[in-house]
Amino acid sequence: MSIVKDIQSGRKPLKRAYVGIFLWFTGRAIQATARVDQEVKKEFDNLPDDFTFSLGCLPDGPCMVIGKEKGKVKYLGSNPGKRHVHVRLAIKSVDAAFLILSFQEGTAVATTRNRLITDGEVPYALAVIRILDIVEVYLLPKIIASLAVKRYPKGWSIGRKLGGRIGVYTRTLLGI
Amino acid sequence: MLLPDYYEFCCRVKIVAGHDALEKIPDLLIERGAKKPLIITDKGVAGAGLIDIVTRALRDRVFADLIADNVPPDSDLRVVNQLAGLYHDNACDAIIAVGGGSVMDTAKGVNIVVSENATDLMAFSGVGALKRPLKPLIAVPTTAGTGSEVTQVAVIKDHEKHLKMAFGSYFLLPDISVLDSRMTMTMPPFITAMTGMDAMSHAVEAYYCLQKNPLSDAHALAAVNMIYQYLPIVAKNPADQDARLSMAVGACLAGIAFSNSMVGLVHNLGHATGSVCGVPHGMCMAIMLPYGLEYNMHKREDAMAGLLLPMAGEAVYRDTPPAQRAAKVVSLIRQLNADLNTITGGRHARFFQEVRDRDGKPMVPREVLPEIARAALSDGASIYNPEDTDYDDNLMVLEAAWEGKPLDRNKVKKG
Ligand SMILES: [Fe+2]
Repeated sequence: MSIVKDIQSGRKPLKRAYVGIFLWFTGRAIQATARVDQEVKKEFDNLPDDFTFSLGCLPDGPCMVIGKEKGKVKYLGSNPGKRHVHVRLAIKSVDAAFLILSFQEGTAVATTRNRLITDGEVPYALAVIRILDIVEVYLLPKIIASLAVKRYPKGWSIGRKLGGRIGVYTRTLLGI
Repeated sequence: MLLPDYYEFCCRVKIVAGHDALEKIPDLLIERGAKKPLIITDKGVAGAGLIDIVTRALRDRVFADLIADNVPPDSDLRVVNQLAGLYHDNACDAIIAVGGGSVMDTAKGVNIVVSENATDLMAFSGVGALKRPLKPLIAVPTTAGTGSEVTQVAVIKDHEKHLKMAFGSYFLLPDISVLDSRMTMTMPPFITAMTGMDAMSHAVEAYYCLQKNPLSDAHALAAVNMIYQYLPIVAKNPADQDARLSMAVGACLAGIAFSNSMVGLVHNLGHATGSVCGVPHGMCMAIMLPYGLEYNMHKREDAMAGLLLPMAGEAVYRDTPPAQRAAKVVSLIRQLNADLNTITGGRHARFFQEVRDRDGKPMVPREVLPEIARAALSDGASIYNPEDTDYDDNLMVLEAAWEGKPLDRNKVKKG
């Protein structure tokens, strides 16, 4: 019997599972929103043709990758493969990821608390953050989204609010 | 008061301040086992005779003859590599940076190259790329403004590839900052005014932006107090030694505050105006500061009100109704700009319309405001601003700052 025991940090399977599912869902939702929302579409249009970004959890937690392919925005699963990743959003731990992905903490606040690290060219990273903010507004009820974004948008038309939301949800669930 | 759930604060720079602080450098170098520093500066600093003061303070004790004065106004990768070569060829063991922001950035870049034996500086850009302490770096600021003598960031431009590389690491903090009143004594009133307003903007933004915390707050409040009190004095009497030293310390305090709590809209729009129109950073800060306060007031009124005490003192603070304190802070900042405008014979601009180049040509034509508003969307400072900003918000603020009219706070979009 060894007198020295390896102490393993907790794996937190439940939180990891939640984070994994959520990243999968967000990935598909970003792909969907890029088809439905003009503003998000425009943000992506302004990015390079092979633009790729990832949102993941350190040190080896779940991850999702979004990339542009022939002008279309695609959720690429959890591995960027050979693609050059322009922007990497890394959440420091599964616990922090849980806070952010359950919308108890917005991207800006998570950044100020050093829980969300952004790596890559700043202009691209800012575009990604603007995109994520809009996606959150589509996915969440106002009362929750207004905690996650700095300023909940006013003046969205009924079409954008309702039609857009239905479009985003349908496409997210169907993965189209 | 807003107490964040979690925050980080770090400033491990040894600060040496005084009217003869430079004379302490030899001891500080010897303590660190160094005796052959490379002195990095620019032509303006050397031409003003400041390097002579530094070398006179070093000469008898350590080697002080290796001086590179070719740092351009905008940090440049080629110069960084060239200076690193100079450092190696002469078997130097420390760096002394004497100058403003660009000199500090360059020195930090050189330090990465010589400490890591880097051939490609780019490999060390981004967060967390540096893993161990670098060579001893002593920062001697010659303006009371940027605060880069206590910041952990450096920006180096690769003018050939049109790249801007940002470096951020606690290892980039200088080991020692030397604040000596002789280094700022010859700064003309006009430069004194705008660099001082840069420092003021660091302290004020640090006090209301998203990453504020009790430790950065303490530094920010002390900085606001010193800068507000001494900036008009040094602009009027450049040779007032005590006031000069107070400004140097105030700017350093502001630097410590903002490097831990970051800055927001004022720097965001200021950086963009600088890059589109070439307006000096400090001048952009002076003009934008009242607007940053007005734009964010609905989210940060309490914090802003708290700035009245270190600025105006107890009596004014007590006599101003709480609901008017934040607005009073804004009007005091505007008044400070107006006073500096008078002291400098009109050279210190109060709004963008007033900014002119050497030939008297307007530097910010109204037509470029949309371009500035767009450029600002690519600047990272927006993350730390309390209220969100989009293109329309940026343009609205810029237009007010161009005309010199207070911002109509009813028009600020709220969530
Ligand atoms: Fe600044």
